[in-house]
Amino acid sequence: MTLRSFLILLMVASPLAVSAQLAEAQTRLKSAVNEVLAVADRTASRGTLADSLRPVLQKHVSFETMTKRAVGPGWKQFTPAQQQQATQLFTTLIIRSYSNKFTPGEHPATTYQNPVSPAASRVDVPTSMVYKGSHYTVIYRMEQEGGWRITDVVIEGVSLIANYRSQLDAQFKKGGANAVISSLNQSVSRPQ
Amino acid sequence: MKSNVLTHLLLLAVAPLLTDCSSATKPAAAPASAAAVAATGKPAAKVGPAAADEVDEYATAKVSDPIEPFNRGMFWFNDQLYTFILRPISKGYEMLMPKPVRKGIDNAFENVKYPVRFVNCALQGKFKRAGQETGKFVVNTVGGVGGIFRPAEKIPALANVPAEDTAQTFATWGIGHGPYIVLPLFGPNSVRDTVGMAGDYALNPVNWPYLYWYGDRSKHDWTSVPPLANTLRSLPAQLDLYDNATKDAVDPYLSARSAYIQNRAEAAKK
Repeated sequence: MTLRSFLILLMVASPLAVSAQLAEAQTRLKSAVNEVLAVADRTASRGTLADSLRPVLQKHVSFETMTKRAVGPGWKQFTPAQQQQATQLFTTLIIRSYSNKFTPGEHPATTYQNPVSPAASRVDVPTSMVYKGSHYTVIYRMEQEGGWRITDVVIEGVSLIANYRSQLDAQFKKGGANAVISSLNQSVSRPQ
Repeated sequence: MKSNVLTHLLLLAVAPLLTDCSSATKPAAAPASAAAVAATGKPAAKVGPAAADEVDEYATAKVSDPIEPFNRGMFWFNDQLYTFILRPISKGYEMLMPKPVRKGIDNAFENVKYPVRFVNCALQGKFKRAGQETGKFVVNTVGGVGGIFRPAEKIPALANVPAEDTAQTFATWGIGHGPYIVLPLFGPNSVRDTVGMAGDYALNPVNWPYLYWYGDRSKHDWTSVPPLANTLRSLPAQLDLYDNATKDAVDPYLSARSAYIQNRAEAAKK
């Protein structure tokens, strides 16, 4: 292959590769959202919703990446055991928080907009959601981790991860990994 | 009786502000940079495949908070106020009024707030949007029986127009937040946005009779009714926002602050 034809091939192929990536991530997100809604519809009682959503969410959401980012720079000073513990607690907290946002009988209507790729192996899928008669702008941030997985949700400009980062980073500065873990423990065990 | 009057006045004074907050902090609840990264997905160019693993990608919501101890005290006070006074009132309202009725009331009050949105669109030079707001107002007022229904939502050109307010106008003009401040009753705010709320208050027709007869209110008791009703109808949504930002938080104060600053940055961008 001559250099010239190689360059031409590159020029043609890379935008295609990017748009294939975008389409793939968006398709993945759509199926994730539909699976979650199907489970939510099947689950009659609100009390058990968190339990029944957990497997679906763990399939599509990268709680490992989320926890790492939510903790921030201090993460590197966690021991593997502490990292695992923090991830478990954060996962439980997020799943519970997410499940509590469902109102039985209310169905969100999601419109998917054109996904963008702000960096390699990262895709942001902006959506517009109508829930209980109100409009919300929701951006799903997805990353390639052996398959596309959700790593952040930004609702009306409020990033879930940035929000927890501000809290957990403060805990870390106060008392290191132990403070982070005990603060997560406290939130998880707080009665609903 | 006396305390009754006091409560009344208190609610009255803050009512419309509370309401205007509601549209401002609509969901839920970073300095612009973090919100921008998260929201627009345009992180610093250096974020590549290798950096994607970096944990520093998110900046925390930064806003100057020089009076944090005071703010935390006020945050605690507000929490008590919401729990013991406003939440029972809100629950009572929700029990008395069926959901479709509440929705209609909300729609009507939001529709009446048209001057807030129109004037601020104009002040930001968003003339197309000012026109959309006007179209929306006419369609909803005429076709939606005084704004109780929102037929404009069915017209693509008029649906889901981002609501402008005075604080967003200041942001567009390049004015920063200034220090973060937790106001009694209203909660998360900043110096800039507090001034913005005053602007929204004056532009909201719900307050006009009250402001017009300000010195002569004894003769015009009714003028306090629209602002009071406005506060009451906005309580469920307001408390919902508060719960969203605080319920599963590790530090509710920091969570509310971060959510507020991120959300305002996003609103100003739209």
